[in-house]
Amino acid sequence: MWKYILKRLGWLVFTLFLVITATFFLMQIMPGTPFNNPKLTPDALAQLKATYGLDLPLWQQYLNYLIGAAHGDFGISFQYQNQPVSMLIGQRLPVSAALGAQALVVGVVAGLIMGAVSARNKNNKIDGVLGILSTLGISVPSFILGIVLVYLFGFQWPIFPVSGWGDSFSETILPTIALAVSPAAITTRFVRSEMIESLSSDYVQLAKAKGLSDKEIVNKHAYRNSMIPVLTLIGPMAAGLLTGSTLIEQIFSIPGIGQQFVLSIPSKDFPVIMGTTIVYAAMLMFMILITDILTAIVDPRVRLQ
Amino acid sequence: MSNPILKVENLHVNFNTYAGTVQAIRDVSFDLNKGETLAIVGESGSGKSVTTKTLMGLNAKNASIPDNSRLLFKDRNLLDLTEEEWQSVRGNEIAMIFQDPMTSLDPTMKIGMQIAEPLMKHREMKKEDALARALELMQGVGIPNAEEHINDYPHQWSGGMRQRAVVAIALAADPEILIADEPTTALDVTIQAQILTLMKKLQRETSSSIIFITHDLGVVAGMADRVAVMYAGKIVEYGTVDEIFFNPQHPYTWGLLNSMPTTDTAVGTLEAIPGTPPDLLEPPKGDAFAPRNAFALAIDSKEEPPFFKVSDTHYAATWLLDERAPKVTPPAQIQKRWARWQEIQGQEA
Ligand SMILES: Nc1ncnc2c1ncn2[C@@H]1O[C@H](COP(=O)(O)OP(=O)(O)OP(=O)(O)O)[C@@H](O)[C@H]1O
Ligand SMILES: [Mg+2]
Repeated sequence: MWKYILKRLGWLVFTLFLVITATFFLMQIMPGTPFNNPKLTPDALAQLKATYGLDLPLWQQYLNYLIGAAHGDFGISFQYQNQPVSMLIGQRLPVSAALGAQALVVGVVAGLIMGAVSARNKNNKIDGVLGILSTLGISVPSFILGIVLVYLFGFQWPIFPVSGWGDSFSETILPTIALAVSPAAITTRFVRSEMIESLSSDYVQLAKAKGLSDKEIVNKHAYRNSMIPVLTLIGPMAAGLLTGSTLIEQIFSIPGIGQQFVLSIPSKDFPVIMGTTIVYAAMLMFMILITDILTAIVDPRVRLQ
Repeated sequence: MSNPILKVENLHVNFNTYAGTVQAIRDVSFDLNKGETLAIVGESGSGKSVTTKTLMGLNAKNASIPDNSRLLFKDRNLLDLTEEEWQSVRGNEIAMIFQDPMTSLDPTMKIGMQIAEPLMKHREMKKEDALARALELMQGVGIPNAEEHINDYPHQWSGGMRQRAVVAIALAADPEILIADEPTTALDVTIQAQILTLMKKLQRETSSSIIFITHDLGVVAGMADRVAVMYAGKIVEYGTVDEIFFNPQHPYTWGLLNSMPTTDTAVGTLEAIPGTPPDLLEPPKGDAFAPRNAFALAIDSKEEPPFFKVSDTHYAATWLLDERAPKVTPPAQIQKRWARWQEIQGQEA
């Protein structure tokens, strides 16, 4: 097990290296320059380039970047002068992580419950309503939902604050809901079909033949068997949350890494764009590793090797 | 003489479907005696599994059973039980072994725990006591080094071992009736024989009764005391094993025996019964087997044959046994069996 995890971490580092390389060279072909202020004299421009090491040959810039990245140093922001990218990300990442984790937990728990309810009421009204809701939840993008929530609960019935972060829990409610709906919908559908399959399986027939009640069958056999596969969804759902949160952070003025990412693109703040991309990639791969390990822990059939 | 523990009387089971009502069981009656093994044989779709599921109260939701059907077990009609009362019967007084050991165990629960479950439910045992008993049961069904394997999960075991675990689950609460629906169909021939031997041995030890479902007459001879032959939702012939094997009367039984390989059948003489079973949405008038029956009489398509008595223990529902019916010559293989029957009778006399 530990050997396997080490091996996976090795792969993770190697993949990150590829991601860094790819982003570095993609940045080179991105049009435009951060220093497009017409008032800049050629001298000042040369000065600036030297400060950021942009006067060096490309291969040397790349090597410097790699070495820096290995030490957690992603250069200095063009936009916020003198601010290291790692510091900018370090300030904002916890905010995004908290929002993402909250949305993931809320979404998955809601999905587990709704999926189980849906399966046990298969083909009746409750199942029908939940089916429509989950279809909507999957098809409506989170930012549209965010805007609708702002309109409804921020202006129409001003119940919740619609912007800010860190002052009160109520600020987190609307953005969390906006982000949680999609994982909730995905989990609902998945759990529903897993549970229906489980309830019609031979081992549930055998459990019935043992004389167990419906409740005992669901609690002791069907739940566990239909929830284990949900773990495999957590990686992809976390990825969805990463991309979803960039816009949600904009809408609700949350000072997270996503908001910073969005702002860094029009201002061609290459170091921030690259740093954020790399952090996103690392988080995603880490989530997938964690879900694989969790699956191996709870599912006796899965062995890590 | 006979000591029935279970009496099935006039059982009808209908399934409501979009296409109409499927009459899966059409007036089935039989007795099960204490300590005996009754085999129910018949082609696919003849209603064997529906019969057993009805005995466990486990029929699909779209099943309906008319009021005059009766399943008499210990002074009560099982068909009157509430769901809760059924739960105290299932796995306790009547237990079942399923066909496919690869899918009938919960993949995420330790095997020892799965065997302990019925004990905790029906004997109100604490977990430790139930697991201790589960270990004994595992040893009883021949799991080698059971102590080391009580915490295994199903995927760690072979099909044969898993079926032993399924047998242990069924026997855990010491049921009076054990229903085995094709318990060895999914297994290799050698493993099949081991499981059947095991079931016989355990039956002798516990004196439980077994209803053994199969479409393979080959395994019936060694297992059963009596045989009931089912066709299109009805029993068409029943008798002791010897009566069914050596003095069969119904042309359908002849067909089943003819399609069964024996040590003295020459290669190439095996014959499948031609045609297919009738549509149970609209069962035919008269004898349902008539369209496939080379010995059919004119009356077969008009009127259903009653049971004709062959002996005290042997009955067959075919018009061929009516005194007005012409004498027919059965297929050669059946004639050989009849000759053998004469020998057996002679020896006994
Ligand atoms: N839930 C149901 N709805 C409709 N028809 C059903 C249902 N369950 C069983 N049947 C029908 O009842 C008939 C008897 O089925 P059953 O499963 O008892 O056959 P069987 O003798 O066990 O066959 P096999 O050897 O294939 O297991 C079949 O025609 C089947 O299609
Ligand atoms: Mg069957």
